[in-house]
Amino acid sequence: MIEFKAVTKRYSNGAIGLQDASFTIQKGEFVFVVGPSGSGKSTLLKLILHEEVPTEGEVYVNGFSIHNMRRSEIPYLRRGLGVVFQDFRLLPNKTVYDNVAFAMQIVEAQPKEIRRQVPVALALVGLSKKAKVYPDQLSGGEQQRVSLARALVNNPSILLADEPTGNLDPAISREIMYLLDEINQRGTTVIVATHEKSIVDDMEKRVISLDYGRIVHDVQKGNYTNEA
Amino acid sequence: MMFKRGIIQMKLRTIKYMVREGFSNTYKNLLMTLASLTMVISSLLIFGVFLMVTVILSFNLRQMEKQIAEIVIWLEKDIAPLEADDIELRLKNDVRVLECNRITKEQAFAELNEALEDPSLLEGYTPEFLSESFRLRLKDVNQIAEFADEAADITGVEDIDFPKDFLERLALILKWINAGSMFILALLLIISVSIISNTIKLTVYARRKEIGIMKYIGANDWFIRWPFIIEGIIIGLVGSVISFVITSYLYNALESYVSSEAVVSGMSLIRMVPLKDIGGQILFVYIIIGVVMGVVGSIISVRKHLNV
Repeated sequence: MIEFKAVTKRYSNGAIGLQDASFTIQKGEFVFVVGPSGSGKSTLLKLILHEEVPTEGEVYVNGFSIHNMRRSEIPYLRRGLGVVFQDFRLLPNKTVYDNVAFAMQIVEAQPKEIRRQVPVALALVGLSKKAKVYPDQLSGGEQQRVSLARALVNNPSILLADEPTGNLDPAISREIMYLLDEINQRGTTVIVATHEKSIVDDMEKRVISLDYGRIVHDVQKGNYTNEA
Repeated sequence: MMFKRGIIQMKLRTIKYMVREGFSNTYKNLLMTLASLTMVISSLLIFGVFLMVTVILSFNLRQMEKQIAEIVIWLEKDIAPLEADDIELRLKNDVRVLECNRITKEQAFAELNEALEDPSLLEGYTPEFLSESFRLRLKDVNQIAEFADEAADITGVEDIDFPKDFLERLALILKWINAGSMFILALLLIISVSIISNTIKLTVYARRKEIGIMKYIGANDWFIRWPFIIEGIIIGLVGSVISFVITSYLYNALESYVSSEAVVSGMSLIRMVPLKDIGGQILFVYIIIGVVMGVVGSIISVRKHLNV
């Protein structure tokens, strides 16, 4: 499903994003990518999204070769991926419903399909009652749930979350994580980049630890520090 | 795998969605819309004034050309009247000829008599010493040299007279005016597009987050571009219509000023092309330029933000 083969990413300013990273993520896995800021977590996610391309090595995602891909293919790669960001990235001038429906309009889904799927996605994140509200009327946790609904509405096979709880308080963060776990139980591969130790330790999932762009640990049922 | 989904293969509901987005964005970003609109209008007005000057100038030069472009064909003095009739018939039946007047010896004599201040100079002369001639105008002034060459070869024709140097010089001037105005108009167009794309850039910049989100969700480039293009078309269309209204108002004002001057002074140096003759063309040109400015401006402005 996702495969990194000896991937190195150097930025044009000389900074190292990732160095000689190799790993495979199977369908249906739940993986934490952890490490201090600047350790390469975001680079890893950006490579999966084709926001960046590897300097060396090969990256395969859902059958796409990220290292060797035509520009016109990028949208189709991304349609198989759901993305959630730390800052939610909702459109402020659209309602909750329209924010989620927007993701389906972009992939030219049938209006009938949109009317059916959007309520399902909103129900999944527990926001059915807030469909007509605008994002700025929602709390941070609720906004993140809207962005989750948007990421899921097209039934992606992989969900990427870049510090999804970075702007949320601990109790809400936990809620979001449980939601991610639930989504994972339904068969979606979930990859979460985070530096929140307590949550990672709690969930007992696979943990890939990065430091200075190198993979220092890759442990099943690991915890943040991984002295295992 | 079918990855290239072009512009044409969009689904109808997507087109509807884009048109709706285009319109609602135009309305939502009213300030930016007004800024772009002002740019379109001022560019078109500068463009329009220059266009008018060129049109009026070349129109007047062409009028002048027409007045001057007369060919006089002199016949041999002792030509048989039947032969002269043949030539007349031949000239009058030529498709290139607009009008052809035969000046008989008597008419020429009478004219000469009138032209001379002292009629006594012609005493003792009869019209017989003069040649018969034809005065012609052609439908197309540009054919004059060619026509004159042909006419010179007709048996019975003695000589051909037409303002060769003057017409050549005038043609050259017209050519330069055309080339120069094309150049300046193109320059104005490039400047306008760059100003407008800068204005649209601001609206795109304000919406870069939205574009980024669309890219992450997997929208293809045309899906993102189209609403901006439609916005550009709307601004271009509205701008060109407003510019046209302003232009025709100014043109009419100028026209009535010129004709009132003509009444006062008894003659007018400039002749205006009636607005109804060129109005349609000007509106057409305005719309084309306005829309092109809007569309090209949009495409240039969005381009940078699509590389996510």
